[in-house]
Amino acid sequence: MNINTDHVIESPKEKQNRHKAMEAVKLLNTLKEDFKAQIESMGYFYDLFERVYCKQESLHNDKTKIGTMCIQIPSEIIYALDGVPIRLCNGFYTDDEIGSDLMPQKACPLVKATVGHFASGNFSDKPDIIFSPTTCDQKTKVGSIIENFGYKIIDVDFPRTKESEASREYWRRSVKQFAVELSEFQGKKLTRPNLRNAVKKIGYAQSLYHKLSEFRKNNIIPIRGLDMFLVTNAFFFDRIDSWIEAVEILIAELEVRTKENVNVASQLSPRVVYTGSPPIFPNFKIPQIIEGSDAVIVADETCSSNRMFNDMTAVDEWNIYDIMDSMSDKYLKACTCPIFTKNDDRIRRIIQLVKAYNADGVVYQAFAGCTVYEMEQKSVLEAMEKEGIPILYLESDYSPSQGGQLSTRVEAFIESLKTKRRKNK
Amino acid sequence: MKYFVGIDIGSTAIKISIVDKNKNIAGYKISASGSMFYKYAQETLDALIDEMGIGQNDIAYIVATGYGRKLYKEASENISEITANAIGARAAAKDFGEIKTIINIGGQDSKAISLDNNGNVVNFAMNDRCAAGTGKFLDVVALKLELEVDSLGEYHFKSKGTPLSVSSTCAVFAESEIIGLLGNDHSIEDIICGVHYSIARRIVKLVKRVGIKEGVYFDGGPALNAGLVNAIENELGQRIFVPKHPQITTSFGAAIMGVDSYNYSNSQ
Repeated sequence: MNINTDHVIESPKEKQNRHKAMEAVKLLNTLKEDFKAQIESMGYFYDLFERVYCKQESLHNDKTKIGTMCIQIPSEIIYALDGVPIRLCNGFYTDDEIGSDLMPQKACPLVKATVGHFASGNFSDKPDIIFSPTTCDQKTKVGSIIENFGYKIIDVDFPRTKESEASREYWRRSVKQFAVELSEFQGKKLTRPNLRNAVKKIGYAQSLYHKLSEFRKNNIIPIRGLDMFLVTNAFFFDRIDSWIEAVEILIAELEVRTKENVNVASQLSPRVVYTGSPPIFPNFKIPQIIEGSDAVIVADETCSSNRMFNDMTAVDEWNIYDIMDSMSDKYLKACTCPIFTKNDDRIRRIIQLVKAYNADGVVYQAFAGCTVYEMEQKSVLEAMEKEGIPILYLESDYSPSQGGQLSTRVEAFIESLKTKRRKNK
Repeated sequence: MKYFVGIDIGSTAIKISIVDKNKNIAGYKISASGSMFYKYAQETLDALIDEMGIGQNDIAYIVATGYGRKLYKEASENISEITANAIGARAAAKDFGEIKTIINIGGQDSKAISLDNNGNVVNFAMNDRCAAGTGKFLDVVALKLELEVDSLGEYHFKSKGTPLSVSSTCAVFAESEIIGLLGNDHSIEDIICGVHYSIARRIVKLVKRVGIKEGVYFDGGPALNAGLVNAIENELGQRIFVPKHPQITTSFGAAIMGVDSYNYSNSQ
């Protein structure tokens, strides 16, 4: 009888890091290996995610890291005050499992995973302070749980109606308050040139996203939706200058591919618009099933991609307060998040995307527990029906074992779109 | 001299332990179950008796256990493998200390058993989904990788990269995942390591259902695989105790119980 003692048992942190590395590598391998017509310059992004999630490499050692709990915290102000925004929305199943012990059973996996991440505390870039906009219920309430783990959290009041002038004023005040608090935390003053530069830089990053998206309007599509999601997800935490450079190189390669007629899909592959709860690395489960079933995602309406980049701030204002106001509007008025009371904008946006990108159908995915997306499902489905746009609604979570049933439904939907394409030829 | 036999007829192997009246192990034998449980069990027992140089008349009591226990009609008594496992584990781990939790991975099932301070079974959980995460699963993996199942442990420790996770709970689907990984030239070491971790995570979930207590004992054939032991220890975050002969714990427990049953009926 013996006890095996010739190896050291992992610490909880090492274990958690291994779990994350295993999840990350699994997705990255799929992206690198399972599809045809690989893009060389995507290597930067594959490598970036591997460095951060498998090797826990810090990218921002020299900077103050400002954690944001949702897209409504203006990154422009963070950059202007010499901080680095780190978006904390999390897609790891292993963190979701940890978070499940701290949240109600039926809560949203994204929020549970975010809480789990704080509970385990293994950040490659740990946020020095966290700003939490009061968006959906779960995100709003989660601050107090996270605080228990010793993080500094500041709530940022966010209104849930976007039509009224009162809420516009309210949000503008919130953004100013946020700027004041961050300015105090950083010991720096928000100046017009700094803010202008930051707005310009973010605007430039957004313009690159638009350029990337343009390629997907073509008949021959040089980039898969999965790769697009990886690029936009990288914006959550990457050094902005490196990101910009990598995307510029990517665009140059896509131009060459377009000339050479390199298609990531076939002529028959249905073109899909993806909407609903955001795909966050490494939970690309549904996009993986869609593109694994020979469809291609040509556009999306989610907060981890399109919504982050779609609308830009005008920088031609003279006064710092005017810049602030126009920036605040971008985060409220242009936002299509389902937390708002009325949200016809989202329906309009989806229809517009379907038309602009010549899509055959829409896949609407909601996380089980993501109540707002679940609730808005009905109105979106009705609107699509009216427009004659085929749509598939799915509920999913972060667990890796759910694949079978979901893929059957997605495959059947894709096949029906394909049949239509074939007939119309 | 009187001897007491414990026969554990599992899905993959027949395990027989013989103890003396002091409950010390006197002999054991393991053979494949094949398809004729009764016949092979009898043959294995006869062979063991011959090896030990004792006669059929020295056998005082036979207790059958395991999934095929009811097919062995000669048994004086039969008990469930859960009870037998608990008795066997506590006896086998005397030098290690108090056993509170048992992890058993068999050929076609896996279970977690929780014991109280007196060694009574207070709770147990078994896998409910086919052969996922069992010995059979490892057999399938070894077959696909064209390796002997005994060598999997060695490869585990040679893994240098991130273990490649196998997410399917079904042995058949997992098989195709492994073929996919091999097709993309991933290292066999990383694949094996990933397979061990996927079994370990599943088994740790099972253990959590009955509650993880100090004093974890791991038995069943797959416990011979040092790589799997390492994966389970990492997932549990604590040392586990693996007996020298992890396959025979349950038959050992059945034999020990035979001694008590025999003594009880003779004292009446």
